[in-house]
Amino acid sequence: MPACAPPAPTGISSDSAHTTQLDVAGALLTLLRDSSTEPRPDTQLEALTLAVAADLPVLLWGEPGIGKTAALTQLAAALDLPLTTVIASVHEPSDFSGLPIVGDDPAAHGVPMAPPDWAVRLVRAGRGLLFLDELSTAPPAVQAALLRLVLERRIGTLQLPPGIRIVAAANPRSSAADGWELSPPLANRFVHLQWTHDHEVVVRGLGGTWPRATLPRLDPQLLSHAVAFARRAVCGLLSARPALVHRLPTNETRRGGPWPSPRSWEMSLCLIAFATAAGSSRDVLSLLVRGTVGDGPGLELLASLDRMDLPDPESLLADPTGAELPERGDLRQAVLDGVVAAVRKRPERARWDAAWKLLVRAMETGAPDLVVVPATTLASLRQQDWDVPASIERLAGAVALSRRADQAAAKVAVVAKARR
Amino acid sequence: MTLDAPVSLDLDKLYAARLHAVRARPYLATALFALHIVESRKVPTMGVDRHWRCYASPAFVARMPVEELAAVWVHEVSHLLRDHHGRSDRFAREHGLTSPGERLRMNIAADCEINDDVFGDGLVRPKGAVMPRSLGLSEGELMEDYLRQFRLGPYTQDMAWLDCGSGADGLDREWELGPDGAHGLSEQERDAVRFRVAQGISGRPGSVPKGWQRWAEEVFHPAQPWRALLGAAVRSAVSGPGAADDYTYGRPSRRAAGVPGLVLPSLRRRPPRVAVVIDTSGSVSDAELGSALLEVAAISRAVGGRRDQVTVVSCEAAAHTVVPLCRAEGISLVGGGGTDLRAGFAKVLRAQPRPDVIVVLTDGQTPWPDSRPPCRTVVGLFARQSAPRSWDESNPDYVPDSPPQWARVVAIG
Repeated sequence: MPACAPPAPTGISSDSAHTTQLDVAGALLTLLRDSSTEPRPDTQLEALTLAVAADLPVLLWGEPGIGKTAALTQLAAALDLPLTTVIASVHEPSDFSGLPIVGDDPAAHGVPMAPPDWAVRLVRAGRGLLFLDELSTAPPAVQAALLRLVLERRIGTLQLPPGIRIVAAANPRSSAADGWELSPPLANRFVHLQWTHDHEVVVRGLGGTWPRATLPRLDPQLLSHAVAFARRAVCGLLSARPALVHRLPTNETRRGGPWPSPRSWEMSLCLIAFATAAGSSRDVLSLLVRGTVGDGPGLELLASLDRMDLPDPESLLADPTGAELPERGDLRQAVLDGVVAAVRKRPERARWDAAWKLLVRAMETGAPDLVVVPATTLASLRQQDWDVPASIERLAGAVALSRRADQAAAKVAVVAKARR
Repeated sequence: MTLDAPVSLDLDKLYAARLHAVRARPYLATALFALHIVESRKVPTMGVDRHWRCYASPAFVARMPVEELAAVWVHEVSHLLRDHHGRSDRFAREHGLTSPGERLRMNIAADCEINDDVFGDGLVRPKGAVMPRSLGLSEGELMEDYLRQFRLGPYTQDMAWLDCGSGADGLDREWELGPDGAHGLSEQERDAVRFRVAQGISGRPGSVPKGWQRWAEEVFHPAQPWRALLGAAVRSAVSGPGAADDYTYGRPSRRAAGVPGLVLPSLRRRPPRVAVVIDTSGSVSDAELGSALLEVAAISRAVGGRRDQVTVVSCEAAAHTVVPLCRAEGISLVGGGGTDLRAGFAKVLRAQPRPDVIVVLTDGQTPWPDSRPPCRTVVGLFARQSAPRSWDESNPDYVPDSPPQWARVVAIG
């Protein structure tokens, strides 16, 4: 078929010229790949590292092409783990549940389910990072097979050793029109992290300097404290809010995301302990907790953590002169309200006096308007034989402030009445 | 005012104003107290940055009466609670807006969103506050809606001084302390404050205006557009096990070659068949029906269906002919009178081959089948709060049933 034959290969005759062209191209590529790194705090990578360290399966949600795979490569290098990537959407269920192999006498020996080669290599290595890409575009039957891999860590007859960590990635439905809904049981087994790109990082990286994340280190000294703290945080919240323990989302689009269940709360507890032992910031913890039990319950947990950080009213009342009050206004207000509530619960002369001392201290170290409401409430708790402490004069500023606000309110009321 | 001798910031006045604001709007107390005051001579009036710092000009504070300052406090904190900086950034990115004039427009639109519902009831409206009416716009809309409706021009001439800081429009100002400055709130702390305010509002809905209640409901759960919800429902119904793909021994698996002697079932997927039952009785408009129908067609195509696998039945008291969608350009959606969707269900289920999924588009004024049909059902329910309920003269007590438990219901519109 001479008509279909490719044109005569002219390049072959001048062999040297051909190679030089490729060499030049190679040199250009080397120059293009030449980039340096700089240390930079990266909240989402830190969250990912902690979740992987905690041996919880992670699901990265992100638009295609924003560097999920690159982040995984960096993570694998940092943890010194070999990376195995499996594209879930191009596999059949039997690739994850095992292929039947007929032996000599199936009636006597049964039919073993043979695992695919990548699984065998992974198990032989004993350690590694398994990356299941394109999870949301895998058909439901494949997702069901993956359930066992993710939860029980089994592929066919192979048991994955504990040194292997699992990370999955999925495209949000808005960008993958042919995507399937992630089934609620599968969704509940993952820590969901929203993967976004930072404009600044991308521009700087294309300019030749990529960020190098400093990864969190667990402090061996903090381990037992971290576990106690995590247990106190989760149990404290759940005993006060039993409705949060299990709540399957009713909304269609949220069923494939994080939602609270005893399993995800256990994961959340584990992550709080890891973040505490690593000394991670609240931002990292927020990503992890909200990615495990969902936004609403996650925020409630974080709010109760904030309250746990506040000084205890009883210890403040025991030593009002040495008290350290938080600087932020809303937290300080919460503390003062707590102190007054504690006095109301057990009204005693000494506690009442101590509370006044605290209010004076708050007045002198911060915004005076915060003191007005607690002072009014505290004054109303006075019993007949209690004398007003002398220190109350130092609250005169707050009284003047309150009067000024009253006047403003009166003026507003007059205007409103005139308009009516 | 710039000619005045420099005054120092009257903090007591600001605090008294904040106290008045807290008394008038107790549910905003956490947010108001979380703001950190920074004295600034460069800010024209009062402004906030995205890190919850509040910049106040001494001259402005000296000039304003306490009650108006209180209103300004509430105004500024509303910018932060409603995430106007984040929404401005998103809007600018989506629409490719870069000029500073656009940011001023965003500030004005954000002010319009706030000012039409935060004042009154104990708070005065400060002089010069931008109102939607002064731009010739209607009240009660969102910043994004306002942004599409006006441009900078003669109306906005005297608003050029208006500047609520980066907290309102997302553009960083030179006088702001930035993310590394002292007393800023981290993203997590900001979320926590907003969450606590929202919780406070949800806790005592009676005393809080509607606008803030709606904000509290949606702040961490933005309302889902019905298209996404309907799409999710249809997609999960179509792709659920047994709907359109199943194992079959009819053809051996392509893996069977690897295991001689064994017959492996193969996974076969046939395009899902979707039947759409449309309620053509009076109240639903053709435009609404048309858009919902197109949506269902697009989704079923996306999950591997073909256009000819979608059939449409229009139904009022009796079911009309079944039309495949590829010939459905001219479906006449006529009707009126009573509806009985049971006829539509029966008609669809009699078809051979049977559909995998039934999608019903209706306003819900109909009786439903007693038993669960042998395939998944998604109900797209057109919301009809304002329209009068259907009225049957011979049976005035008639109340239509709500969609049954076995159907997934998505509110449309």
